[in-house]
Amino acid sequence: MLEIQNLSVSYGAVQALKSMTLNVPRGEVTAVIGANGAGKSTLMRTLAGLVKPQSGEVTFDGKPINGLKPEDIVRMGIALVPEGRSTIPELSVEENLRLGGLWRKKDERTAAKQRVFRLFPILEERQNLRADTLSGGERQQLAIGRALMSDPKCLLLDEPSLGLAPMIVTQILELVSQLAKESDIAVLLVEQNAVTALRVATTGVVLNLGEVVKSGPAAEISSDEELRHAYLGY
Amino acid sequence: MTNFIDYILGGFSNGAVIALMALALVLVWRSTRMVNFAQVGQAMFTSYIALTVQQSTGNWLLALTVAIGAGVLLGIVVFFLVIRPVKNSDTTGAIIATFGVLIALQAGAGMIWGGDPQGFVPPVSSSGLEIGGRVWPISLYDILVLAVTFALVIGLTLLFTKTSLGLSMRASAFNPEVARLSGVRVNRMLITGWAIAGATGAVGGVLIAPSASISPNSFDILLVFAFTAAVIGGLDSLIGAVTFGIGTGLVISLVSGYSDSGNAPIVALILLALNLLLKPDGVFSHHGSRSV
Repeated sequence: MLEIQNLSVSYGAVQALKSMTLNVPRGEVTAVIGANGAGKSTLMRTLAGLVKPQSGEVTFDGKPINGLKPEDIVRMGIALVPEGRSTIPELSVEENLRLGGLWRKKDERTAAKQRVFRLFPILEERQNLRADTLSGGERQQLAIGRALMSDPKCLLLDEPSLGLAPMIVTQILELVSQLAKESDIAVLLVEQNAVTALRVATTGVVLNLGEVVKSGPAAEISSDEELRHAYLGY
Repeated sequence: MTNFIDYILGGFSNGAVIALMALALVLVWRSTRMVNFAQVGQAMFTSYIALTVQQSTGNWLLALTVAIGAGVLLGIVVFFLVIRPVKNSDTTGAIIATFGVLIALQAGAGMIWGGDPQGFVPPVSSSGLEIGGRVWPISLYDILVLAVTFALVIGLTLLFTKTSLGLSMRASAFNPEVARLSGVRVNRMLITGWAIAGATGAVGGVLIAPSASISPNSFDILLVFAFTAAVIGGLDSLIGAVTFGIGTGLVISLVSGYSDSGNAPIVALILLALNLLLKPDGVFSHHGSRSV
């Protein structure tokens, strides 16, 4: 579905990603894990069109997406939930959601909103409240809901566990992995929290200083003690 | 007491125009996070165009419409020619560039229309209404000014709160990155913000023209008042701009009435300074800090 080939990104003299190659298949979660500064967010921001790569190629459904603008990439079916506060606190819950699919036809938008409400019922209950009245977990659901309003074929989740209680993280990630299977979406999940990420993922990729050190079935990676000690710090 | 009531009534229509100018400043602030000091220059220029149209056709409504169109165009032109190239590297530079635009517009207007103040004939009577055997300090024209302002404010509020375009514009102002990731073409929203601001300023210019008479510099003082109102209102609040725009109009009227109209700008600047000392985020702002 989403194919990344020899992707390199640098900020000035700092090389954030070094010739990364990765294939993200549909219907499952692919987890990229690694410490702070491993290049995880850079990868996500590059895929979404916010950062221009230095070299390499990204194709989606066989079509190259290099150099496209974020607003065109989301129209092709790739939606990013960026790290941290990615809801707009000044807007209501409903407006945050509506924003995610403004460019779509009205009936498509309504249908997408119904699906999001079915997935995250709390958002329907709170739809007229301002987004900053939500709890951290609800806000992350809203951020994911906003991305789902575009009915993406590929969902990019950047560090969804940030600042959330472990139980809520598990709940949200399990919903996402279920969504990947049911709606046949390719999910790329980037996490510092390796344990939880590998639990819901089919494939795991370990990133260190911009390079892929290891990739394989998630279960294999979480049981590789040496790898854990060396790169994941637990 | 009679004086007091008269001064208050007399301040409303002036306040409405200040509110429109403050609104224009707020619209630009919301879209590009900068103050456009050329806004009154643009309004002056479009008022001259309106004056030309009115002098040749005698049709006020046509003059207003042409001014609005010219305001939209001028807003877009200023954004493309000056703001966008400069702002990419430096926001402060872009703000200073707006002063350059102001001076260029004033010089251009002087070359085209001359430097002498010209009168602008109001479409309806601008002498005080006589009700109950007493002449009130409010005219039919003042009522027209208030009505147009009111309609415009309601229209803008509906645009921002009820339409997809409005939601896109608000999202682009609050968080451009999330807006882009949601598929909003943020650059177009910035241009739209400048265009709507240009139109709003143009309406304000045409409305104030009959009482101010038009010269290349006649709106300069309006900038002081509108800027004060916009900043006190919180710079990104439409309702703040309108409330404090009208409030500033009332204060000016009282100060001019009880002392001398020359004192009004000083009082406005004192209010601005007090606001920045006591409540630097503005009264209606729900944002954190900001820089002008």
